[in-house]
Amino acid sequence: MTETTTTKKTTSDAAPDHALTPILAARDVSREYRMGSEVVRALDGVTLEIARGEFVAILGTSGSGKSTLLNLFGGLDRPTDGEVLFDGESLGPFTSREMSRYRLRRVGMIFQSFNLIPTMTARQNVSLALAFAGVDRRMRQPKSLELLERVGLAARAEHRPAELSGGEQQRVAIARALANEPQVLLADEPTGNLDSARAHELMLLLDQMRRRDGKTIVMVTHDHELARTFAARTIRLKDGRVEEPAPAQPHV
Amino acid sequence: MNLTDIIALALRNLRQAKLRTALTVVGVVVGVAAIITMVSFGLGLQQNIIVKTFARMDVFTSITVFGPSAEQLIAMSENRPRAEDGADSGGAKGNRRVLDDAAIAEMAKLKGVKYALPVINFQCFARYGERTRRLRVGGATASVEDNPRFKKLLAGKAFSGDDANEAIMTEGILARAWFASSSPPPSPSQRRRPPPMEGRPGGPFVAGSAKSDEERAREAQQAIGKEIVLLTLRRVESSGPDSVFGIPLLTPPGRNGNAGDGADEAEGSDRYERHVFRVVGVLPTETGLNMPMLAGADLYIPMEQARRFREANRDPMEKLGEALAGDSGYQRAEVRVSDPTQVVEVQKEIEKLGFNSFSLNNQVDEIKRVFLIINGGLALIGGIALLVASFGIANTMIMSILERTREIGIMKAIGGGDGEIMRIFFFEASLIGLLGGSFGVLAGWVVDRIANFAVNRWMLRQNEHIEFFSIPWYLWNGAILFAIAISLIAAIYPALRAARVDPIRALRHD
Repeated sequence: MTETTTTKKTTSDAAPDHALTPILAARDVSREYRMGSEVVRALDGVTLEIARGEFVAILGTSGSGKSTLLNLFGGLDRPTDGEVLFDGESLGPFTSREMSRYRLRRVGMIFQSFNLIPTMTARQNVSLALAFAGVDRRMRQPKSLELLERVGLAARAEHRPAELSGGEQQRVAIARALANEPQVLLADEPTGNLDSARAHELMLLLDQMRRRDGKTIVMVTHDHELARTFAARTIRLKDGRVEEPAPAQPHV
Repeated sequence: MNLTDIIALALRNLRQAKLRTALTVVGVVVGVAAIITMVSFGLGLQQNIIVKTFARMDVFTSITVFGPSAEQLIAMSENRPRAEDGADSGGAKGNRRVLDDAAIAEMAKLKGVKYALPVINFQCFARYGERTRRLRVGGATASVEDNPRFKKLLAGKAFSGDDANEAIMTEGILARAWFASSSPPPSPSQRRRPPPMEGRPGGPFVAGSAKSDEERAREAQQAIGKEIVLLTLRRVESSGPDSVFGIPLLTPPGRNGNAGDGADEAEGSDRYERHVFRVVGVLPTETGLNMPMLAGADLYIPMEQARRFREANRDPMEKLGEALAGDSGYQRAEVRVSDPTQVVEVQKEIEKLGFNSFSLNNQVDEIKRVFLIINGGLALIGGIALLVASFGIANTMIMSILERTREIGIMKAIGGGDGEIMRIFFFEASLIGLLGGSFGVLAGWVVDRIANFAVNRWMLRQNEHIEFFSIPWYLWNGAILFAIAISLIAAIYPALRAARVDPIRALRHD
């Protein structure tokens, strides 16, 4: 799909320079929800770009629309108006099948509540993502162990989520998100259920993924402190709109 | 995600709710067992009637041709000049002719006919062992080819020729012949027993012997070479047409109405002729459903011998016919075709010759159609049980999906496609169907065995085991496939629902 992006590009500067194309972009994106008879506008004309290899934090109070924006980037949801682009390609025309391929290959998601399958071991959870990608059965075992190794959990591979601490569970979730080598990691309040020490460790791990593997990291949080410490850029959302863009943090 | 993964996930889902899975499977088991039991009973009945009873006697290639009835004989004698006018021949078509040797020879020449033989059956007193019995005697040809009945003999062999002084007896009358030592002597009441083929215990089902096959064969072997004497009335000179109403002449004067018992005392009288036959073979008792119409005789003698006997032993009916029509001919003839498909064609030709005929071939088609309807009805009743089970499956699947909403959401978030999610649940359902179907077939089989045992043991009380149920491969295969199909249908809605799970909603913080 990415091969065709250059021709489909809607960007004003249609430069074929791959490195300059934002890996993720939102153009005038709105998302409305119907709550009974009321229409709730979770996002209201959001336009923003995220560059390759960037560590971006999206800040905002609850109800500001930050999770909605992340779900749109993650291909779990579609905008009511506007378009979401990945590497210059609009996700709008994707069929649900293409959308699931996108979630499988292009982005990896991490959630506040970890969302591991409780009846599966850490390794099986990671393997599941490999299975969806059609990785050969025999290759999954070593591959998932290697992924757990990368997040420092090789020793806990055969434990079920209930036997792991919150920090460990989140690291399993990261290993799973990385399973099919996506370019982007989308983290929805990844430290929400962790104490500050574990949260800090986790942020270091994510930052390591960015530095070492060149992953782009988009993190939704309401923790200004963490955002300021690790993110190169913070985007503030309020009532579904982007507040004035924050200046890039120099110290990264 | 390949098939193995999908099956593994489906199995895992089923394992996680063992009790619920088990209960759902039991529902399917009951439905499938009901279908199996019902249909196997229908098929078993069909098997007993058509395959065992009919096929055994090679009736599919046989046509029975009837001679004219008494009414028709009278009509023929009265309307002799205009015999061609079928309108007043008692409503029945054909039968404008006497079934004599010439007519039978004509039939034998028809295309596709292997042979045509008169059916000669008469009752006769026979002395064998220490007793005299009234037996039904039949004529048969020496050629086994023309006589499928003799393909399977318990002992001995077929006739050496069509005019040999040889006899083949059935096992049924054998039991009362030379083995008086092994059974108590007959009491007067027993001696008045009706002929062996009628009034047997067990209704239409004929029981086999309690003895082992070897024992039966050994007993039969003892009869080989023994003598059996058929008694006929010495020919009365005045049996011309003027003695048509001299029927009592057949019975010795003063013994009217006591013929059955008087035979013993009458033996040796010069009014009787003694015809000695040597037993060369013994036919086993045919077991299974007894069709009186198809039943043969108690004793068979070569065809030419039988012809002569028939001449000497005409029954009153035949004598009457003879008086009316000159010669009444035979009452029945058997025409055998070489291929069952020719039966209808040959029957038409026989009709043209002027005879009514009957073959089981068209009747069998009819019977098969009836059985198809019966079996369909039985399957439908069983199917209702399976239909009920299908709601159980749907319910289980929906429960499973409700429980797994979050899991489905997770799978979707990490890249699981709608199709893959759907397939997992379809496999889950088809596994329930497969399990339920397999155990259902097993359960149906067990029920069949128990019912069969019970019926044989307590209701028929016979020594021979009759199989009432038949589970052919297509029945159990079909039942399992049907269970899987029903399960898949039941899973359509749940699986669609699983595919439509909104991951955002499913993953919302709890």
